[in-house]
Formats: sequence, C-alpha cells, structure tokens
Amino acid sequence: MTLSDTLFYIAFVSQILLLSWYFPNKMISRIEHVLATYPAEAYPKLYPMPVAHYRIGIRRFRMFSRLGLLIGVAILLSVMFVVDHSGFAEHGYISSFWPAVYGMIQFVPFMAIELSEYSNLKLMRQVNTVSRRTADLQRRGLFDLVSPWLVALAGLTLAGVILFDLYLHGFNLSLGHDSVQRALVMLASNGMIALVGLYSLYGKKLDPHQTSADRSHRIAVNLKSLLYLSIAMSVFVGISAADGVYDIDFLDAALMSVYFQAIGLLSLGYTTRNVQAERTNFDVYKAEAPAAR
Amino acid sequence: MQIAIDLEASAPPFAQLIDQIKRAVRANKLQPGDPLPSIRQLASDLDLNNKTVAKAYRLLERDAVIQSRGYRGTFVHPDGKINCAVDMNAWAEEKLGDTILELRSAGVTVPEINTAFRSAMNEHSGD
Repeated sequence: MTLSDTLFYIAFVSQILLLSWYFPNKMISRIEHVLATYPAEAYPKLYPMPVAHYRIGIRRFRMFSRLGLLIGVAILLSVMFVVDHSGFAEHGYISSFWPAVYGMIQFVPFMAIELSEYSNLKLMRQVNTVSRRTADLQRRGLFDLVSPWLVALAGLTLAGVILFDLYLHGFNLSLGHDSVQRALVMLASNGMIALVGLYSLYGKKLDPHQTSADRSHRIAVNLKSLLYLSIAMSVFVGISAADGVYDIDFLDAALMSVYFQAIGLLSLGYTTRNVQAERTNFDVYKAEAPAAR
Repeated sequence: MQIAIDLEASAPPFAQLIDQIKRAVRANKLQPGDPLPSIRQLASDLDLNNKTVAKAYRLLERDAVIQSRGYRGTFVHPDGKINCAVDMNAWAEEKLGDTILELRSAGVTVPEINTAFRSAMNEHSGD
C-alpha cells in the first residue's frame, strides 16, 4: 500500500464517519430533543403539521444517512479491492472522483432536511393568524453581524488564489486555459455565496414567530459559515492549482475527501454548534405567546 | 428599540409606523443621527410591502424627522425631536379652515367652495 493510498483510506473513513454517521446522529438528536422538550401541546406554533409527520421525516433522514454509510463502505471496499486505478487517474493514483461523488451523495439527506425545514416555515407563515408584528428599529448591516476582517480575509483569499493560479500558469489569460476557467468558476461560486448571504441578511423573514435577537444571531451564524466556506473553497482551489506544478497530485483523492469534510464542518458543524435550542427563545411558539420580540 | 404594527388596528400600517417612530424620537429612544433600518429590512421584518414602509419614511422625511443620506442609509434628523411636534395634518386643517371661513364670509356658497377645491386639487395634485 502506497502513502497516497494510506492517506486516502484514512481521509475517506473519516469522511464516511463524519458525514454519514456523526452529523446525521447529531442532527437527529437535536430534532428529537426539540420534539421532547417543546411538545406540540405546549408549543403549537412550532408544528404547523401533525407531529407524526416530523417523526416520519426523522425516520427517512436516518434511513438515507445509513444508506449513505453503506454506500461509503461499498465504495471503500471497491476502491481497495476491485477498482483498477490505472484506468481512472494518471500515475495510477486513486481518483478524486470517488470522494467527490460520494461527498455529493452524503449531502443529499441534509439538503432534503433543509428543504423540508423551508416548507415547514412556509406553512408556519401561512397558518400564522397573529395580527401584531414587531421589529427592531436597529439597522442590520453586514458589518454589524460579522467582522469586516473576516469579509476582507475571504475577499483577499479569493483574489490571492486567482492570482496565484494565474502566476503558476504564466498568466495565460485565454478563456480555454484551466486557470482562467478555475477563476471563473471561483467567481461564480463566490457570487452564489454572496447572493445566499444577501438573501439571509435582507430577505424575507422565514419564521414569523422568531425573535429579532434569534434572527440576528441566526443570520450572523449563516454569514460566518458562508465566509468560512468561501475561504475553504479558495484554499482548496489554490492547492488544486499547485497540484500539477509541484507534483502533489498523489494527494488529490485524500484532499478531495478532506475538502468535503471541511464543507461539512464549516456548514453543518458550525451551524449546529452555534445555533442551539437552549439559546433559542421558544416561548414565541406557545399558544398564547406575545408577538415576537 | 422595538416597533409593533397591528394589522387589525384602525390606523393603516404606514401611519402606525410614522406614529411610533415619532414617539421614539420624542422619548429620546432614538437620538439625532441614529441609523434606522433600511426600507427592505423593516418591510421584511414586519412582513409588510416595501411601498408601505417607503411611504412612512417619505412622510417622515418630509416632516424632517428623519433624513436619507443616499447609500449610507436613513438617519434620525438632527432637529427630529423638534420637528416631531409639527403636526402637518393639523396645520393643513387649520389653513383650510381659515380659507373656508374667509370664502364663506365673502358670500361664496358651500357647493362653490367644493367645486373650487376639487378644481384646485386637480390643478395642483402633481405637486
């Protein structure tokens, strides 16, 4: 077994456990904690649908996560014993295709749960009959919620990586060149991140009952998570750009696996760590709750 | 500082907004120069139409209670507290009342005043 293989196996096992075991379990225990601590009888506004519906959702999420775990183990065993790597990558290294495709599969249950949360909030707005609405008379600007240094760091990392990539490839600015295409993809991805951030900051209030303090906290967590993701993406692209030049392509597969884990840690990990039920005001979901404050 | 809008109240939401912002300025809860949320933010937080909040801000700006500083946003006017005391509706009623009294004492009939008022309104409604 080569160093490249060993590094990949370690990274891939970690990817399987982190994204298809640890985070799904953490997510399920959080939802079950909310269901148990804030029951529908006392907090009816939290549940626009019957509780049984949420239980079915949890079961499906658990099932798909376990399926993801099995797919991961199957990919690992195939890569170890079945796949002929010379057909997939140069120099016979394990292809980064495996952790990339598997990473995308692993995020499907999380995206599904995010979408179901979105439709739950939409229902919450539809059934909301409270005529009194409150808001803070305080401006909510980007730099009120995140440090300007973090924004500058994300911007500088992006610019630095694009310049580094172009420098490594002799500032070849033809559209068909890899470094130019990577730069365009980076700019488009960061543009998407910026749009999501702006929607989070200035977009519609999704939860009609959420307090202003909770909303600001949630927006701040979302924005920071997006900025960390942008930085991680830039660093990953920077390493990929250096790949061919510094002969480190034996690390490709392991790096791709680490990249997906970084995405998981910076999005799911950061959010679950910083948005906790104990720090959220659930009184607004009670039957006779006052309007959100 | 919080603001509350009741959709079932008799006063329309823009009037409630104006009233509460003026009260906050009068009570020093909002100081001269304090930044106010953007129209989009307030409309989103209160789940109101942007136009409703924009109308309230426009009228408050007209009364010099708040001032817009372009891309920097909207702030409480330096003389906002004094200007809160100026009631434009009461002033308009008083001016109209004086004019009507003058016209009536000159012998102009009520229908003639109505017609003249409508005509004048049509002529100046674009101002």
